[in-house]
Amino acid sequence: MRELPSLGRKTLGGVVVLALVGGVLSGFVDKNALSSTLRLSVPIAFAALGGIFAEKSGVINIGLEGHLIISAFVGIYATNLTGNVWIGFAAGVLASTLFAVVFAIVCLEFRADQIIAGLAVWLVALGLAPFLSTVIYESVNAGSAGFDPITIPGLSEIPVLGALFDAKPPVYLMLLAVVGSWYVLNYTAFGRWVHASGENPQALDTAGVSVKRVRYASVLLSGVLAGIGGASLSLSLGEFSGNGQTMVDGRGFIAIVVYLLGNYNPIGTFLSTTLFAGLQTAQIQLQSGYLPSSLVQTIPYITVIIVLAGVGRTRTPDAAGDHYESGEE
Amino acid sequence: MSESDMLARVKERLRAVLRRSAQTSAVERLLISTAALGLAVLVGTVLILVSGRMTTCTTAAATYFGVGFCYDPVTVFDRLFLGALGDPMNPLFRPLHGEFAPPFRKGWSPFNAAMAVTLRETTVLVFTGLSVALAFRAGVFNIGTQGQLVAGALASALGLLVLAPIVPGGAVGAVLLVPAGLCIGAVAGGLYGAIPGVLKAYADANEVITTIMLNFVAAQFALYLVSNHFQRPGSQVVETVPLPDVGTIPSVVFDPRTNFSLLALAIAIGFGGVIYYLLQYTTMGYELRTSGLQPAGAEFGGVKTKRTIIASLTLSGALGGLGGAMYVMMILGNFQTGVPSYGFDGITVAILAGNNPLGVLFAAPLFGIIKSGSIVIDTATSMPPQLVDVLRGLIVLFVAMPEFFRLIGRRAIADEPSVPNGGDEDA
Amino acid sequence: MTPAISLDGITKRFPGVLANDDVDLTVERGTVHALLGENGAGKTTLMNVLYGLYEPTSGRIVVDGTERSFEKPQDAIDAGIGMIHQHFMLVDSMTVAENVTLGTEPRKWGGLAIDRDQARQDVVDLCERFGLAVDPETRISELSVGVQQRTEILKTLYRGTDVLILDEPTAVLTPQEIEELLSVFELLTDQGKTIIFITHKLGEAMQAADEITVLRDGRNVGTVDAEATTREELAELMVGREVLLEVETSSYDPGAVTLSVDDLTVTNEQGIDVVSDVSFTVRRGEVFGIAGVDGNGQSELIEAITGLRRPQAGVIELGDREITDDDRRERIDQGMAHIPADRHERGVVMDFDLVENGLLGSQHAEAFVNNGRIDWKRTREHTETIIEEYDVQPPNPDASASALSGGNQQKFIVGRELARDPQLVVATHPTRGVDIGSTEFIHERLLELRAAGVGVLLVSSKLEEVRGISDRLGVMYEGEFVDTVDPEAVTEEELGLLMAGEQPAQEVSADERE
Repeated sequence: MRELPSLGRKTLGGVVVLALVGGVLSGFVDKNALSSTLRLSVPIAFAALGGIFAEKSGVINIGLEGHLIISAFVGIYATNLTGNVWIGFAAGVLASTLFAVVFAIVCLEFRADQIIAGLAVWLVALGLAPFLSTVIYESVNAGSAGFDPITIPGLSEIPVLGALFDAKPPVYLMLLAVVGSWYVLNYTAFGRWVHASGENPQALDTAGVSVKRVRYASVLLSGVLAGIGGASLSLSLGEFSGNGQTMVDGRGFIAIVVYLLGNYNPIGTFLSTTLFAGLQTAQIQLQSGYLPSSLVQTIPYITVIIVLAGVGRTRTPDAAGDHYESGEE
Repeated sequence: MSESDMLARVKERLRAVLRRSAQTSAVERLLISTAALGLAVLVGTVLILVSGRMTTCTTAAATYFGVGFCYDPVTVFDRLFLGALGDPMNPLFRPLHGEFAPPFRKGWSPFNAAMAVTLRETTVLVFTGLSVALAFRAGVFNIGTQGQLVAGALASALGLLVLAPIVPGGAVGAVLLVPAGLCIGAVAGGLYGAIPGVLKAYADANEVITTIMLNFVAAQFALYLVSNHFQRPGSQVVETVPLPDVGTIPSVVFDPRTNFSLLALAIAIGFGGVIYYLLQYTTMGYELRTSGLQPAGAEFGGVKTKRTIIASLTLSGALGGLGGAMYVMMILGNFQTGVPSYGFDGITVAILAGNNPLGVLFAAPLFGIIKSGSIVIDTATSMPPQLVDVLRGLIVLFVAMPEFFRLIGRRAIADEPSVPNGGDEDA
Repeated sequence: MTPAISLDGITKRFPGVLANDDVDLTVERGTVHALLGENGAGKTTLMNVLYGLYEPTSGRIVVDGTERSFEKPQDAIDAGIGMIHQHFMLVDSMTVAENVTLGTEPRKWGGLAIDRDQARQDVVDLCERFGLAVDPETRISELSVGVQQRTEILKTLYRGTDVLILDEPTAVLTPQEIEELLSVFELLTDQGKTIIFITHKLGEAMQAADEITVLRDGRNVGTVDAEATTREELAELMVGREVLLEVETSSYDPGAVTLSVDDLTVTNEQGIDVVSDVSFTVRRGEVFGIAGVDGNGQSELIEAITGLRRPQAGVIELGDREITDDDRRERIDQGMAHIPADRHERGVVMDFDLVENGLLGSQHAEAFVNNGRIDWKRTREHTETIIEEYDVQPPNPDASASALSGGNQQKFIVGRELARDPQLVVATHPTRGVDIGSTEFIHERLLELRAAGVGVLLVSSKLEEVRGISDRLGVMYEGEFVDTVDPEAVTEEELGLLMAGEQPAQEVSADERE
């Protein structure tokens, strides 16, 4: 396994420890807890995978939250329109991808600052989803049909781990996407170009590969993946809620922390995702306990801050955030 | 080879942005902001028309090209902009038709209720806009003005409730309590802003993420504190008991029921001047701008970069906190959860103003109009007021891409080919 | 035989700059051709035109008898032209094989995966064919600069390059690595490859090239046979006038120690010692020079002395005061002026105008600030004085620093720093990118300060400069002082050996002079 992509040893250690803590907190011994952790992982994991592609290619997509919001709403709307959950799902992904197209054009053609453009994507989605919901449903909240669970007979009976075989489709998709992203990034030419585009775009350019194309592809991919996450979030529940920060509630930002913690490695990122999802599971259980729910709900956010402060210097792609124009020196 | 960290990366990029914005002249910036606003209205128009086909209504609000629409963009933008000013235009004033009646409507007074809403929103937005702009100038993305505003609002409300019983009533009480409330708000916001500052300076934690997280924490913590300890008995919403009158900012000229005080607006404008002076004429401002533009250069010049980061976020937070105190002491008269998104609007105001404190004084009223107009829209049309949030996002998006407008500008002026970059040979 | 490359009347104009003016160039197949000229002579621009990075304003490019027009580097690569830039186009976190095959990775499984074994084998084969020793599995970040350069050469060979352009290939190499590179040139030309290399060093061009073309002010001023030419002829072609590099120095009469560095150790970001146990002193009224190939710890040493980097161990004293733990501002206040190596990053704030830049480092000084309020009027006067005294062009205090050429930025920085009334000047590459007239002026100012009893610590990659104005010269190699020598007594050959880390011969030691 000499070619196994290096996951910073320290980071890996940190993730394992934190995942264990999260696991203990959420009570992994319980099949329900595991299945809840997996379910809560879905939107974060997809957004984070998308973020990895974009940022590794050199474009920081801080608007992942916006992609989640818009796809969550459009998923519900299109499901109601067509009566088919999968078509609704596809429409949600498409909406998020369209946002990514706009973001990519603005960043790659018009040299917009990536952070501000990303914030704009978030703010537009944050306004647009509740707006459309009100236009269509006369309420910021909307419901539709949702995904039905797929239970694999026999395997789902396994204690605890049976949760892996008794879940809604997005959970299976997530596991596929994690492995798939890992493969693409480490074993395909495209993955290597993404890496080079973020580390030294000139090297890629002079090697005859268009940096712009690689970045377009990566940003669009981040839109697709985050879109899957958002549509999964709403369609697993069969509802969209658009109050305040909407039902997405910061998951897009948590996703960014998650992939930084996972050192841009899809596997590591998935592990740190389960940490946060585990915390949320634990939080749901704690809420029935002594702590007031409003305080318990701050736990994931405070964890993000602590983790970020603990990880501190993360090794980010050298050229991330910089505009690159071929032929410039 | 080089172990670049997030801090360096964000700074590096910021520098590039600031460099670009510094190269643009004030006129160009004004043109770009205006064009961005215009484009946002244009896209908004399309959105209104499209959504007008998506919903159902008994009678079409407008008919264009033989197609009926449930929402009329003309009405919507008329309500948004003119409604916010209390309808100043005289319907008989139609210069294009050669009718020159007095331009202002008879009976229109600049001190009307809609205008009061516009100006009170403006007041808070000046503070949040200054908050974001100041941090930005120091090279720090403070997305946390919202949280700092909540912290300031909550602290000043609770502080005033504690202080009120121990100060005398009447004018003396107001003279003591109003400054005290504002100070408490500023200190609370400042401390809350210092957290991401310290984390960034000493732990390299990216402030974009930490400040966004702290926004969530502030909202939840306020919910906890008020609902569990300071809930107004019998109220359906989560709110504190009302502040005593001596703890609220007295209105001047305007009807007290409009919850707007010219005094507060004057204070806000004063702060615009103060921040401008601070940036342009003081050592602290010089160091702040230097680290914002070129951190390595600042370090060379003996600027203590860590201290500058913390100072700028603390000051930025204090401005946000002051905005929160104004919100509580002028508009609400107590603290309620579900604080409007003044902090996020502050980002838009700052970006629109090119992060210039004096520019904020012009961008804030514009946004005050939009905020106030959204209330008019809600009552006067069937249009969902969330439209305004979409416009906010669009404005940020368009202002972020000056290159687009330059391209159009160049095309419009002449068929001048773009100049290739380079020529600085370093052989 | 058709020449490998033939450039015909190439002109390249940038806004306000004529970088290449009607340049003809013919390069024969299987030869090494040197492109010689001073900084800014237009060498790199010409090669960028040939490589498709710039489109020429006018002129023809003929490759192997066929006229070509290149819109992008890929077109040039397709025509068999490869270029190795001064800054390597390598991804540090990837291996040699990954870098070499980047963009043209061998695939397997119907293109779904990279065939890593094939990639490694390809690189091994390539190495064998051209006699280059590089391990395909090593990460770039773990390689020395010389091997990184070889990787770049492999990269172009992998793409079937026939004509190899190298931009200042020796600038970052030790003398030994240069030798190795020149023998690689031979191996490549033996196999029929053509090499064009850009340089500003006469000796190198004469040693390595078959033919030498000299560029001056964007024009080809002559192509000569390397065997038949002389140094004098080349120097005159390059500069266009007799070169005078001797600087008048007044008598050497050093006073008290102003800077003392004792057992200083500095680590880099990776925690590796880049300066180990360095000790030296600089006295009032002397210029202490530091020579060495770039990247041997000079910049980290200077950063530690000037307070821009925290040393791992050791003591630094300025005058009577220990300043090891002082921050940058305290060091400025103690009378330390610093001309930094990287003027774009540190020396000036690019988006500030010159008035604002004139304040940099003095923003707490009583001369310009009252109770935290900046006196812009006085700052402006100060700036105007610098502009006038140092002939900064354009002489406009409201121009932003980015509007100035590099040389003028440098003059402005030197002017600002020397106006601090310092007891010590730490000057790093003080004349880099500055024209000859200004270079002389800056040297004179440094020597004036020396005569006035100021200590000067000078780091420069220009050997003539450090030798010309230093009283004592420390030579650094891999973070250590190999020796301190008398710059007048030491020969260029001895200095070269010291810079390559060879232990010194005893008699050139300068310590006796103290």
